[in-house]
Amino acid sequence: MEFRPRNYSAENESHALPRVRAAAHPLSAPPPPSPLAQAEVIDRGNSDFFDPLRGNANSANDTPSDHDNWNEAVDHQPTKEWTSFRRLLMQRFPVSKMVSVSSMPDVLMRSGKLHEKSSTNMHLEELDDPQKFADEGAKTITWQEYVSRLHELKDEITRSWLAEDRVTSLKLSIKVAKLLMDTSVFEFYPTLFVLVTDIMDMLGNLVWQRIKQKAEFSEDGALCGNLAENFKVRDICADAKETCYNWFSKIGAVQELLPRIYLELAIFPCWRFLLDQPLDSLQRLVMMTRGLGDPVASAYCRLYMAHCAQKLPSHDIGYLVTCVNDTRVILMQILSANERTDKNVKLNRKLQVSLMEPTVEYFMKCIFNGLSQRQVNEVLSELGLMKNQQDLGSVSCVSIILHHLLKELPIEVVSLNIVQILHLIEISKDNSFDQHMNYRLLGFRLYERKFPDDIVNIVLDEVIQVIALYDSLDEYLKVVDAYTDLILQNQKDNHLNTILEGISKRAWNKGVAEDEMLSLQSLVVKLLSHFKNLEDVFSLDWFPEIIDVMYGKSQDVVFLYVLNMATRNGHISDPTIIQMLFEVSQTLHDNMEFLNVKDDDGQVARSISRFVHMVDYGAEVECHLAFLVDCRGAFGRLNELKETLVHSSNSLAIQALKCANKHLSFVKSCVTFSEVTIPSISAPRKFDLFLETAEVALLGGMVSHLDGLIDSAISSLYTVDIIDGFRTPTDVEGLVSSIKKLCGFLVMVPGNFSLPVTYFPNNLFTLISSQSWFESKMRTQIFSAIVLLLTTLSQNRLPYHANPQIPGNDLLYYGDSSYNQELVSLSKLVLENLLSAVQQEPSQAAQGIMALEACNCIAFSFTLNNELSSVCLKLIETAKSCLSAQDRYLQSTVQLLSKQSPTSVGTTVSNSI
Amino acid sequence: MSVELKFSRANRIYRPSEPLEGKIVVKTHSSISHYGIRVTVKGSVNLQVRGGSAGVVESFYGVIKPIPIVNWTIEVKPSGKIVSGTSEIPFSLNLRQQDENLERFYETFHGADISIQYLATVDISRGYLHKSLSATMEFIVESDKADLLQRPLSPEMVIFYITQDTQRHPLLPEIKSGGFRLTGKISTQCSLFDPINGELTVEASAVPIQTIDLQLFRVESILLGEKIVTETSLIQTTQIADGDVCRNLTLPIYVILPRLLTCPTTLAGPFSIEFKVAIVISFQSELSKLHKKSDPKTPRLWLAMETLPLELVRTK
Repeated sequence: MEFRPRNYSAENESHALPRVRAAAHPLSAPPPPSPLAQAEVIDRGNSDFFDPLRGNANSANDTPSDHDNWNEAVDHQPTKEWTSFRRLLMQRFPVSKMVSVSSMPDVLMRSGKLHEKSSTNMHLEELDDPQKFADEGAKTITWQEYVSRLHELKDEITRSWLAEDRVTSLKLSIKVAKLLMDTSVFEFYPTLFVLVTDIMDMLGNLVWQRIKQKAEFSEDGALCGNLAENFKVRDICADAKETCYNWFSKIGAVQELLPRIYLELAIFPCWRFLLDQPLDSLQRLVMMTRGLGDPVASAYCRLYMAHCAQKLPSHDIGYLVTCVNDTRVILMQILSANERTDKNVKLNRKLQVSLMEPTVEYFMKCIFNGLSQRQVNEVLSELGLMKNQQDLGSVSCVSIILHHLLKELPIEVVSLNIVQILHLIEISKDNSFDQHMNYRLLGFRLYERKFPDDIVNIVLDEVIQVIALYDSLDEYLKVVDAYTDLILQNQKDNHLNTILEGISKRAWNKGVAEDEMLSLQSLVVKLLSHFKNLEDVFSLDWFPEIIDVMYGKSQDVVFLYVLNMATRNGHISDPTIIQMLFEVSQTLHDNMEFLNVKDDDGQVARSISRFVHMVDYGAEVECHLAFLVDCRGAFGRLNELKETLVHSSNSLAIQALKCANKHLSFVKSCVTFSEVTIPSISAPRKFDLFLETAEVALLGGMVSHLDGLIDSAISSLYTVDIIDGFRTPTDVEGLVSSIKKLCGFLVMVPGNFSLPVTYFPNNLFTLISSQSWFESKMRTQIFSAIVLLLTTLSQNRLPYHANPQIPGNDLLYYGDSSYNQELVSLSKLVLENLLSAVQQEPSQAAQGIMALEACNCIAFSFTLNNELSSVCLKLIETAKSCLSAQDRYLQSTVQLLSKQSPTSVGTTVSNSI
Repeated sequence: MSVELKFSRANRIYRPSEPLEGKIVVKTHSSISHYGIRVTVKGSVNLQVRGGSAGVVESFYGVIKPIPIVNWTIEVKPSGKIVSGTSEIPFSLNLRQQDENLERFYETFHGADISIQYLATVDISRGYLHKSLSATMEFIVESDKADLLQRPLSPEMVIFYITQDTQRHPLLPEIKSGGFRLTGKISTQCSLFDPINGELTVEASAVPIQTIDLQLFRVESILLGEKIVTETSLIQTTQIADGDVCRNLTLPIYVILPRLLTCPTTLAGPFSIEFKVAIVISFQSELSKLHKKSDPKTPRLWLAMETLPLELVRTK
């Protein structure tokens, strides 16, 4: 067997494609359009693009208050809105296990006879021992029991209705409605409200259907005609009217006010059978609700009213405005009572207000749903906030009402009346709602649109002045957080300075509490995202101090943000920034064990690695290496980072080598650093890193390191199979190509006279043969590579050299026949294994390719004697049996063979095709 | 074998000038012969005196002779046969007969002492050997449209105010000293179709209010010899305010009149039916908790009230 002599430079020339100079780099970005054109693009984008998160603030303006459309929408909309509102309502007030009721209503008793008996019993008891009865007043029931009883009642009502026993249905419904009279259930009240009104709505629907049916069908069941959507009283027959009137009479006879109102509301749409203008009744019900002395009960009653009124085909918002006004009066009463009552009662009042809040929220939503500017002014003046529809803010308002008003007020109105609104917030200061939350809300609202400078100035001047007096960091932060965007957007640097100073002073004085940290985090992130450069942010006065007071999770979030921001724009070379980021990274790294979520860890690790990668000390390579050493010490837990460290140190070495005066000792330090670092990295990447370092060592001329590194690289393959989940196809391909790369690299590695000449290829071959998990496909590729390596090494002149100072093997062993002998004997051995690997492949298609690969390898490596020719022929046969005759690889291999050996083999092969 | 009366109107309301119409439904398994099917209409004012302002002796002679209004029989079918199965025999008779009427057609009313009732009875007589078949059904009489008041209802309302000083019964000392003031207005003439309207404002009250109710009373008077026996009974309570309501907020008074329990105010010679309303304010007090179910008419220490007459009229 004889190696085929090669003339690489001649082969290169003959195979090289003709080169043509390109005008532009194919991967470079297209030339930037002129700034003018770009601006146009952006503009058009704005008008076309609909951002769902922004809402349709623009279109709200455009849509005229088309009442017909609006009403149509209302017909379907409320159910959806109401359902979601109800869900939120229940979620907002989590219910404790036990519900305490002031007295157990008999309707909740599960014992069957809930009508007369129990009430007489109670009466007797009461007469017997009044004191005892009073004591037993506060009772408890689990809320599950309460709820399930209500569901039962709902079923009972439906059952009786279906059994034509409508009187029982009504009686039970009245009992259910009465449950809402007891507000001592506190947090359970909203849930109770939802459940009870669900039953009321059901009853209302049943009654509506019944009367509608009476109106549409005659007594004997014949259809008289469908009622139009907007029917009038004259379309209704006397019988239906009579039934309808009966319902209202029955409900009117209910003694207690609250159930009477609820039931009338439930069947409220039925007024349409009797009146063409049922709205007057609505106004009366609003007034009647005033008779409910309990603030919570009356608020929720109004809430149900707002819901029921939406079932009418058309309704104005006058009654809602009255509702809000009445609520305001009640709130003012609660608040004034606050001042003179003790703490325990105060707590209850606080709870009362919080229970009432969702109702105010809902009224405001209903009121401002699609109002025109003129209507808004009318509403404001009706709410008593505007005298003569002009001077908003002359009268104070309850702050919780103001809050929800501000939330819903169209932004144009806000901007037009900004001074008045500021004044309104200022004078509306009471215990129902924290004043600073209204300032905060205003800040958020103003950020919805871009406003002229003077408006922004007015607001900022005023607000900054107000909050300057705040002692509490929490309040200060809550307000400032809302205005940060506004300040940044309008570049009010002086204000920015003021608020940062304000925060840092308050934080240093009293420390930062957990809940304040969240506001602080939000604010800092806003600042960071506004500034492009880290230097700019950190050069702000007080900013570093603020960062210093942060701790815990918020600190991590902010630090991670800082880190990502720093590594976003290219290299980092400022030593102070590097130092700062290093400390930031260190904190993140040290906190990592507190982050349980694996994903977060990955994020931190990636960011730190990126930071290390981006650090650039320029010519100060020594410093850079020292930095890498520090990093290795500081971030021991990050596997990913160590890889980055090795890459960085290797690239440092290369950088040093490129310098005119080569610091060989420095290069050595780098290589040593890498060599020491790699063993602690997990297996799959070790091989590549060793190889990379070996390349650096070779370039640096450190032959002694080189052998050790290659040895380490090869032996690292022993541990590869231990790692689970490694063998994904890409990983395998990657490993094979790395090994191939090693083979290519070994061409340049000079032989060591203390070792056998084929030491490395032999080691590699032995290893691959001994590890059973190398599949035959991998073996084929690797063995082919080894054979090609050996062939190359046998040449008189090697195709490439690394370092002119290091002689290649072509020089070291020139004309040494024993050297050549060893190469041949090893290649024989490898070739045998290669052929058997091809035979072992189970998959046909793969086997065909492998056979061709082996064939090519042989054809390139050896002069084809008969023995080898027959081997090649056999391989071609194998390939033909596996692949189609049209296969390009097969054809080109056959061509190669016939070219390489113009003897019998070639012709046989070509003939056979 | 059963017989039933069915009126043409589901609500069974008829006016004196209108014919009372309906059908007699007979269900039988075998055909039966009869000596005629007759329908009798009978209306009367029944008076009785018990308790109330009447003395022991009067209550002893409690039942007073009823005042007949109408008593009138027609033959729907002469003697003949009814086939087996369900037979429906229509009938129609005029309520008002010229010269035959004994009294005015008062509207149907069921009170405690006075009851004005109209009954229709069907009789199927089957000779002496068989028990005659009969069924009785009440129908409701409302005044004729022609007889109704021509003048419109007075839209005026009575203005009232209630303070600690307007009360003629003793009050709890804290209520008396703390003082209170409620004002309002209420209609005192009211159509039976319309609700009682009005409004009420709590202007001041030192003691928190428990509840404000509107009580509807009926006042039945009977002439007994030379004495008038009067019985006042509560027929409906309607809560206007529940709890200590906000001061100076106007609350509406809106009470739908209960059917059957009310009728037009009637002032006849031997008897009269009148109505009145009372606005009752109950203040929060420990005492009231001990007397939950008490007679509403009794003035209590924690109650303040104002009673006003109410004229009910039937309008077109």
